[in-house]
Amino acid sequence: MSGRARVRARGMARSPSAAEAGRTRAPPSPTSVDTGNNEASSTSSFVGTSRKSQSCQDVVSSGDAGCTFTERGGKIRRDFKDLSVCTREKLAHVRDCKRGSSGVPVKLVTNLFSLDLPLDWQLYQYHVAYVPDIESRRLRIALLYSHKVLSNKAKAFDGVVLFLSQKLEAKVTELSSETSRGDTVRMTLTLTGELPASSPVCTQVFSIIFRKILKKLAMYQIGRNFYKPSEPVEIPQHKLSLWPGFAISVSQFESRLLFTADVSYKVLRNETVLEFMAGICQETGMSCFTQMCEKQLLGLIVLTRYNNKTYRIDDIDWSVKPTHTFRKKDGTEVTYVDYYKQQYDITISDLNQPVLVSLLKSKRNDSTEARVAHLIPELCFLTGLTRQATSDFQLMKAVAGETRLSPMGRQQRLARLADDIQRNKDARFELETWGLHFGCQMSLTGRVLPSEKLLMQDLVCQPGSAAEWSKDMRNCKILSARSLNKWLIICSNRDEKVTEDFLHCLRRVGSSMGFNVDYPKTIKVQENPAAFLSALQRHVDPNVQLVMCILPSYQKSYYDSIKKYLSSVCPVPSQCALTRTLNRQGMAMSIATRIAMQMACKLGGELWAVEIPLKSLMVVGIDVCKDEFNKGMVVVGFVASTNPGITRWFSRCILQRATTDVADCLKVFMTGALNRWHRHNRGLPARVVVYRDGVGDGQLQTLLEYEVPQLLSSVTEASSNTSAKLSVIVVRKKCIPRFFTEGNRSVQNPPLGTVVDSEATRPEWYDFYLISQAAGQGTVTPTHYNVIYDDNGLKPDHMQRLTFKLCHLYYNWPGLISIPAPCQYAHKLTFLVAQSIHKEPSLELANSLFYL
Amino acid sequence: MEHCEVLSKKVIEFKPPVYEQRYYFVKNLVNQHGHKKIADLGFGDATLLWMLKYHRCVQYLVGVDIAAKPFEWGGGRLSPGVGSYIIPRELDLTITLYRGSAVQKDSRLCGFDLITCIELIEHLDSEDLAKFPEVVFGYFSPGMVVISTPNSEFNPLFPASTFRDPDHRFEWNRKQFQMWALDVAKLYHYSVEFSGVGDPPAGAEHVGYCTQIGVFQKNSTKPTELSISEPEEHVYEVVYTTSYPSLQQSKYFRFTLSIEAVKAIDLMKSRFLRGPRRKEGDRVVPLGSCTPQHGLTEAQRAEIEQSPKPYSVGEKFYVPLERLLAYPKVNRLVAGSTEKLRTVLAEGLRLNGDQTAVQVELVDYHTQRLFDEHLVSPALES
Repeated sequence: MSGRARVRARGMARSPSAAEAGRTRAPPSPTSVDTGNNEASSTSSFVGTSRKSQSCQDVVSSGDAGCTFTERGGKIRRDFKDLSVCTREKLAHVRDCKRGSSGVPVKLVTNLFSLDLPLDWQLYQYHVAYVPDIESRRLRIALLYSHKVLSNKAKAFDGVVLFLSQKLEAKVTELSSETSRGDTVRMTLTLTGELPASSPVCTQVFSIIFRKILKKLAMYQIGRNFYKPSEPVEIPQHKLSLWPGFAISVSQFESRLLFTADVSYKVLRNETVLEFMAGICQETGMSCFTQMCEKQLLGLIVLTRYNNKTYRIDDIDWSVKPTHTFRKKDGTEVTYVDYYKQQYDITISDLNQPVLVSLLKSKRNDSTEARVAHLIPELCFLTGLTRQATSDFQLMKAVAGETRLSPMGRQQRLARLADDIQRNKDARFELETWGLHFGCQMSLTGRVLPSEKLLMQDLVCQPGSAAEWSKDMRNCKILSARSLNKWLIICSNRDEKVTEDFLHCLRRVGSSMGFNVDYPKTIKVQENPAAFLSALQRHVDPNVQLVMCILPSYQKSYYDSIKKYLSSVCPVPSQCALTRTLNRQGMAMSIATRIAMQMACKLGGELWAVEIPLKSLMVVGIDVCKDEFNKGMVVVGFVASTNPGITRWFSRCILQRATTDVADCLKVFMTGALNRWHRHNRGLPARVVVYRDGVGDGQLQTLLEYEVPQLLSSVTEASSNTSAKLSVIVVRKKCIPRFFTEGNRSVQNPPLGTVVDSEATRPEWYDFYLISQAAGQGTVTPTHYNVIYDDNGLKPDHMQRLTFKLCHLYYNWPGLISIPAPCQYAHKLTFLVAQSIHKEPSLELANSLFYL
Repeated sequence: MEHCEVLSKKVIEFKPPVYEQRYYFVKNLVNQHGHKKIADLGFGDATLLWMLKYHRCVQYLVGVDIAAKPFEWGGGRLSPGVGSYIIPRELDLTITLYRGSAVQKDSRLCGFDLITCIELIEHLDSEDLAKFPEVVFGYFSPGMVVISTPNSEFNPLFPASTFRDPDHRFEWNRKQFQMWALDVAKLYHYSVEFSGVGDPPAGAEHVGYCTQIGVFQKNSTKPTELSISEPEEHVYEVVYTTSYPSLQQSKYFRFTLSIEAVKAIDLMKSRFLRGPRRKEGDRVVPLGSCTPQHGLTEAQRAEIEQSPKPYSVGEKFYVPLERLLAYPKVNRLVAGSTEKLRTVLAEGLRLNGDQTAVQVELVDYHTQRLFDEHLVSPALES
């Protein structure tokens, strides 16, 4: 949160009239009997419907300027926004067909279900006006719904806009209803639109209908997903429980409307904010306690224990205690302690805790005053996993162990959901009144791309399994390696023997792979981070090729201080390893092999290659991630190949102040990469293909308007005559569809290299799915590729195959990975900077994969 | 039912609003008497039921309304929220809503501790009003009945001089209500006390409360013959039912206890790792205090310090069950029983060989994946 916003929050919090105890209140409306809590009311189906149709308004209003509802709140879902970015129509070569041809066809089962509508189906949109005007949305809804004209019709209404699946007789319909006070209210329904089923507005109305249905199936909505709290998975060791459920959506796919469902788990943490703060206090001590609390807590989403609502922590007010009073809406003053006792029968035990401050989103545009809620840390739970938790290996292993589902397990859950929807009486009734038919699970045909051969120094090898080829590479020589002559090993006094043994193995495996490792200078130090750092400062000079550190413990400060010093202050490639790892029984050779490969890469070596038919092609990977410490900063990583074989890389990284994930420095990086290419290859590349990862929902338009032009201008400016052709592809690791192959009365993950470019794709995009990684016991997630810009005009088949080839080239893993190697390199680089260095790495390291 | 506030707005403004005062009146009664089974007749938008669900003593909540619609009920705020799963209640709670009338007998409403009829009777026509006492007092026969109704003496203070709601069949003055109530009480062996909410404005004290309330208490507490001998009658239609997770259910009890134990262990471990240690045989033991500073009184901390200390062997950290039992939250959950602690924890956590201590990993795994640069498969990186 920005300093200014915090001041604002603080200022508000102190103004007594604005202080509320964790609740928002609507102004009293005539017949409202709500005590002021803002939970879903008894008329939850109304509220449920209207909330969603409110979000439709933005879409509708864009084509319907005459309506007044545009001012009312409600945001369109971000991923729906991306769907309205039609990039395919500008790409002439794929306008008619975006399908590839090579490979073996394979029949795939999906998690997509068809939704059928009558051919002439339309959605009718009405504007509803009230005389006299009524402010209360709930009353507006109740009055309209109670009218007999609408009583048996399928409808969705938010207080202003009404959607019906059947047209009313007249364009303008006058109705009147009586309030319980006996006042007559006239309602005028004016037809404002007739929308075909393919309209985005309809898609949103369908989503509303399905949410209603899933609630009928006793599922619990959190965010956009639905969970079954009655069947929790518990992991007490990590203070977590998991709720199984589904992420669902309804949208228009390549040729038809489809319902999609994917198994999802909600992670709930059994840890209050107060306990979290106590933990911080114990770790950091009182001196920087408040500072650390703010650093770690601001921006997090918490869930209140009593009213089931989530809030963002915008500030912590250390001056307010639970014993202080606040003013309720009715003007009476009450202490927080008494309020929670009276209202919720909850006793606050810690009377010295501060209060959390959350800015409330204003529901009505006319309220000029931002409102805040005061929350008691003891009554707030942390939600989801913090980044710290996601980097906890054991925790993630435990979560993965519980949530991992085999394709068969997943398929069974999907089948059960579909069955529940089809059997539930209320659900069926709801679908029928709208004229919808919930169909069967869809199958489609994909293709398995031909497998790739690996090019080693003196042979071409067809790996036994593309998932992992370390065995195939045993005794093969890597493509090229510089010999390691001048290098250092720093280890603790105790670890001399381990180091010696390791060195012996390293030299042995090195020589068999063609990587010559000389004896290093070994420096023994005390067992603390400062001793390691001072050894670096004393012994490392620019002539040193590489520094290896054998670390005695897991303290992160060892790693961070070493990486920071050797990436920016004194740029020399470094390799860290834990004593514990080197000591693993029976693993010495394989660990030494992996370390040797990494070291070779860090010195600029090349391990293997695949055949690239395009000559003079540069591939680029871009990733963006948030800095671990400075929440306002993002780290942008840019990695470009510098030779036609795609085995050498140029890597840049920058930290920038930004509130969005959109890269701001691409022109400089791209120009740098082209210069580098020019120097190595005496000319510019004919083609540049950029893979952009780390794109959030709703950013597609910005990418198109902001990033593509940056890349394009540096490509055109690089040459005065014919400039390189550019393609930009958005890579998404998270996507809705899942694919399975059927066989033996069970379903499995599809083979590696499976491409899907029909049915599950989107009509407005040039996109495809590729499965390029093995999933072990779980279900594989396909990677989605969306070509948003394409001067190269490659055939879709070539684009798909190129992408698949690039998934073979990540040198940290002898096997296929889920995304093209340049993206994974960019990811690894940004991760190192965001987690450990927090600084731009030195340009001198740009030519080696120093961050592996 | 709630329009006295609306109409009175220009003249009299109640703080808090009268309807809220009525609900708080009931809440206070529940606090005083610790009622376990409560039914609200004419629950309307279920606000009173929602307010009552937070009471720890309440185990059965029932609402009956003639206008309850099955399809509109998603349950909403009556269903357990996420918080109810994270911190389960101590006692079970079941909430059921019926469509039905207060003048129909249904045996499922028998045997309650409290039945509330808030602003209900004035909506009954004379025929129904005549049946009402027999059903509620005679047949349901709960331990306590609360009836509220408008006080017509207050009406002249409102601008409109008619009834407060067009659906009201009558509005009684205090004398009318009290006579009716006393008759009913006498007939069905209840005692009644009169009260109300919505103080009259200064100078008009003689009109009494805006809402008059009668609190009826059954004279004898022994179960009536009727509810036992009469056959089951189910005329109400269930429109909604839900039950809450609670510590009475073994699944939630086990998880809650394990979480409390893990919280205590985590804090101990982090102090152990940061503080001075000493080797005793194959064990490493803490030298100083190993008790978290937060959330405990001096006395509690002293008691914890006297219990067997945690220790580590190799990369495992052990916390004796006796030590955990010294933590007040853990102690309360198992009522001081080591045996119960052992049995329950053994289901979710790992115990040492002789089952006297909980075993966890000592190593802080937060950063393992950073260090093991070369061993991380890309599946874990992303």
